[in-house]
Amino acid sequence: MAAEMMGVDMVTILVDDIELQVPKGELIVESVKRLGIEIPIFCYHPRMKPVGMCRMCLVETGTKQPDGTIRKMPKPQASCTLPASEGLAIYTQTPQIIQDRKGVLEFLLINHPLDCPICDRGGECPLQNNTLFYGPSTSRHIEFKRHAPKAIPLSEHVTLDLERCIQCGRCVRFTEEISGDGQLAFRFRGASMQPSTFALSAFESKFSGNTIEICPVGALTSSQSRFRARPWDLESSAGVCTLCSCGCNVWFDHRIGKLVRVNGRTNNAVNEEWTCDQGKFGHDYYNHNERQASVFIRTSARLESTSWTVGLGEIVTKLKSTGTSAGFLLGPKISNEAGFLACRAATALGSRQVAGIDSRVELGANFEVPADSLLSLEQAKVIVSVGPSLADTLPIVYLRVRKAASQKGAKVISIHSSPTELDEFAFLSLCHKPGTLSLLIQGLDGSLALEEVALQTGVSAQALKEAKTVLEGQGVSFIATNQVAHTEGSAALSDLRRLAKKLEANWNHFCETASGFASLASCSGLGMELQSPESILKKCLSGDIKFLWLVDFDPFELVKDRELVKQALEEVEFLVVQSAIASEASHYASVVLPQSLPAEGGGSFTNLDGQLQNFDAFLPKIGMARADWQIFAELLSRMDLAAGMFSRQDILQMAAKDVPYFKEALTGKQDHQPQPSGAGV
Amino acid sequence: MSLGILKDVARPILGGMGITAKRLRHKKATISYPEQRREQYPRTRWRHALTRYENGLEKCIGCSLCAGACPAKCINVVAAENTDEDRHSPGERYAVRYEINMIRCIFCGYCQEACPTGAIVLRKEFELANYHREDFIYTKEMLLEAKAST
Amino acid sequence: MSDLIGLQTLSEKPTRLDQSQLKLNFSEAAVSQLEEIKSHYPSEKAAILPALWIAQREYGGFLSSEAIAEVAHRLHRAYAEVEGVATFYSMYNTRHKPGKHKLEVCTCLSCHVNGAYRILDLIEKKLGIRPNETTEDGLFTLEEVECLNACDRAVVMQVGDSYYGPLTESLLDTIIADLKSRTESTVIQMADEIVKVHLPESAV
Repeated sequence: MAAEMMGVDMVTILVDDIELQVPKGELIVESVKRLGIEIPIFCYHPRMKPVGMCRMCLVETGTKQPDGTIRKMPKPQASCTLPASEGLAIYTQTPQIIQDRKGVLEFLLINHPLDCPICDRGGECPLQNNTLFYGPSTSRHIEFKRHAPKAIPLSEHVTLDLERCIQCGRCVRFTEEISGDGQLAFRFRGASMQPSTFALSAFESKFSGNTIEICPVGALTSSQSRFRARPWDLESSAGVCTLCSCGCNVWFDHRIGKLVRVNGRTNNAVNEEWTCDQGKFGHDYYNHNERQASVFIRTSARLESTSWTVGLGEIVTKLKSTGTSAGFLLGPKISNEAGFLACRAATALGSRQVAGIDSRVELGANFEVPADSLLSLEQAKVIVSVGPSLADTLPIVYLRVRKAASQKGAKVISIHSSPTELDEFAFLSLCHKPGTLSLLIQGLDGSLALEEVALQTGVSAQALKEAKTVLEGQGVSFIATNQVAHTEGSAALSDLRRLAKKLEANWNHFCETASGFASLASCSGLGMELQSPESILKKCLSGDIKFLWLVDFDPFELVKDRELVKQALEEVEFLVVQSAIASEASHYASVVLPQSLPAEGGGSFTNLDGQLQNFDAFLPKIGMARADWQIFAELLSRMDLAAGMFSRQDILQMAAKDVPYFKEALTGKQDHQPQPSGAGV
Repeated sequence: MSLGILKDVARPILGGMGITAKRLRHKKATISYPEQRREQYPRTRWRHALTRYENGLEKCIGCSLCAGACPAKCINVVAAENTDEDRHSPGERYAVRYEINMIRCIFCGYCQEACPTGAIVLRKEFELANYHREDFIYTKEMLLEAKAST
Repeated sequence: MSDLIGLQTLSEKPTRLDQSQLKLNFSEAAVSQLEEIKSHYPSEKAAILPALWIAQREYGGFLSSEAIAEVAHRLHRAYAEVEGVATFYSMYNTRHKPGKHKLEVCTCLSCHVNGAYRILDLIEKKLGIRPNETTEDGLFTLEEVECLNACDRAVVMQVGDSYYGPLTESLLDTIIADLKSRTESTVIQMADEIVKVHLPESAV
């Protein structure tokens, strides 16, 4: 037990007459888990403060008397609010407790509509489970039940059914304690108490999906997967969210080869058990009706369906003649293997033109691994977040920062040019005029007078002074992304890095895309620099690049300058569009390659703090589609550039030879194993 | 010798014929199917049917409990939401697809037992032979009772 | 129950809350009173209850969504949190807009045995309204409340900050006649009295 080693006081308690050593103050509902004893719960959640609202976790308590006997307290207590103390005796299985649990459940079921057959929670519902194990077999209630409107759409993601609510307050506490937006509260009281938003306005939270998962009944259900499948029809497979660089562990629940919903999977080193709404509801593109299903080749202004042999053959022929002027644009969601192989192809061909969203060339800084991991960020004393809203770009990092601030007392300094969610709990929020970040940094590192800086940036000198004092302390962590460079210029970002280094603070320049870390690592391992998509597109215009390969990269969505994209794609001699969903870019394509998605083709993904996570395929591929890494593995073997790549492991082994990061990841850190589903806690 | 034949051959034959002659007086046990059909026992379980309420609404709410209870995994239910304009069943939910694979079905009747609304019942119709495997997948249209004519 | 939920029909959907559209209606005096009350507490959260009383007075005895939003805005709390507090207490009028005078008749045990429902019926007949309704002239609202802690005077009724009891028909007539003759609203008057309790004597 880690607690013992850290010198926490241990106390001896008695659980069902078994002696047990636990840290002093640990909640009894947690302590009994050490013995494998289960106490039924509804409102208690290990990641939130206990409130003792549902009374489901009642236990009998007693204290050891000097003569060794145990004197029981006359009434049961809620174990979720009962801290362990020396000599405390707990009884979880006495006839009294069994009777009490029946009483609590009978009470909760008085107003519960019991429409389980049509409830999306039915089958994985804690209320059903607890009633089955601990509840009365029949009801004595013959009076009318409380009725309320059913299925109120609280937002586009969440549907509220007030009749089913058992008023445990998990959702309300989640918005207060975890996401911090305070969108939900209990209105009214007694039997009519109901969780809802202010005046039943739309539930606008970036983490609203989690309330669906933690609801112990079907009061909050997902609008997206409403009535799509019953829990027993679903198969859950462990996966990783690839929509941003956080690399959240999720369960993909699928039915007959179709993705139905996404739930959070517990991994304390990444997302704990939370997901953002983007990750939870944004995976519906798996069921997109324009999924790319076959290889197309351009024959006289028309795209014609063909085979992989012909399609890849055409590419190989073209690459043999124009290989040295070939460019690769790496998409935000491609696997580590594909990212590495694309970089490898570029080096082997001699073109060395690879670009991705998370490029660092203009920043004057080579790739460096962030100093903090998501876990260590929680221990920081001061967290400086620079740039636009963290809750939008890196939602899980935002939750960590919030946890550090609210539970561990970290001081958060938010530097930005427009208000962000961090301001709500930030120790200091320095809102500067757009374009003046460099000046602000000069003020903070002491090269400019604070009054002068205050005048130009619009931040008060007092705040700057305070920030400066705080930053000189210990345990400072900086968080920034490329967004800072996009809004304030790349010079500002390198200034910021210099400031962090000068203060000997932890410098975290996080990637924003799932493929970012691995492609940066691969490029630097192979002695290249990952360029920005714009620079590659400009090279297409100037004729330096004649062959362009879009590796699941939709330039019309990811590059702001539409005109540049259009001209570049028209100008380039040979364009390969490899994508999962038909995109606008395929109008300019010479060859279109259908790519499968991670859940269909598998792949490993590295998240922003460098954890390599495997994602094994479990869904069937669509039509002729192949995994991104399979496409590049075949290409490289057809061109005799590399051989012996029969599985993802082979590719990773090969990557480990060239790229120090992969070597470390494969030998050192262990992949995080999937844990049983957290649904229905 | 000839006496032996009489004893060992003719006597058993005559005895057997005697039993046959005796049975002639009894009522016939066989019927001439398919012209004649026998009354099925009350608890016979054969072909499924999806029933309706008296007002014509479907009893099935698409809860998929039958599919969960089915030991042969031969039921597939896809649910959808009722709207006021397009109402199939009382309440929020109805089955937009309901399929039973009759080749897999073992007619155990667990689906009928699991059904919370009494929508799926096993009736007495037992002549389920067909020529193609696909024809054994009974769809909702095939299973659903016709609306009672008013 | 759908009036509790706040949605009139089921097809009505929650709409997006535009915080920039918020109108602030507190008078200058109210704002300075709120500042004074805020200074008594270490956190703004602690001032929610008195702030709601100020809002109830400023918004004419009724805590509408706008009134609650203004309180939340001025105390930097989540809108939903303040609404939760306001709807929890029955003395804040959040469910319906009361008339000029609110007649709150106790129907708990002592009053019940002394004929609270007989009195309630009497008022209903006299004013022509049912509980939770307001007379057409907007003068009276009738409400049934839980124990008012004055069982010695059962049947007891609260109007504004005064208790009346034991109620008889003749007493009722005089109360109603007296209330009709008043110019100021007892609902607002009571809110004002409660706000004053929170202020030091010099500020009143």
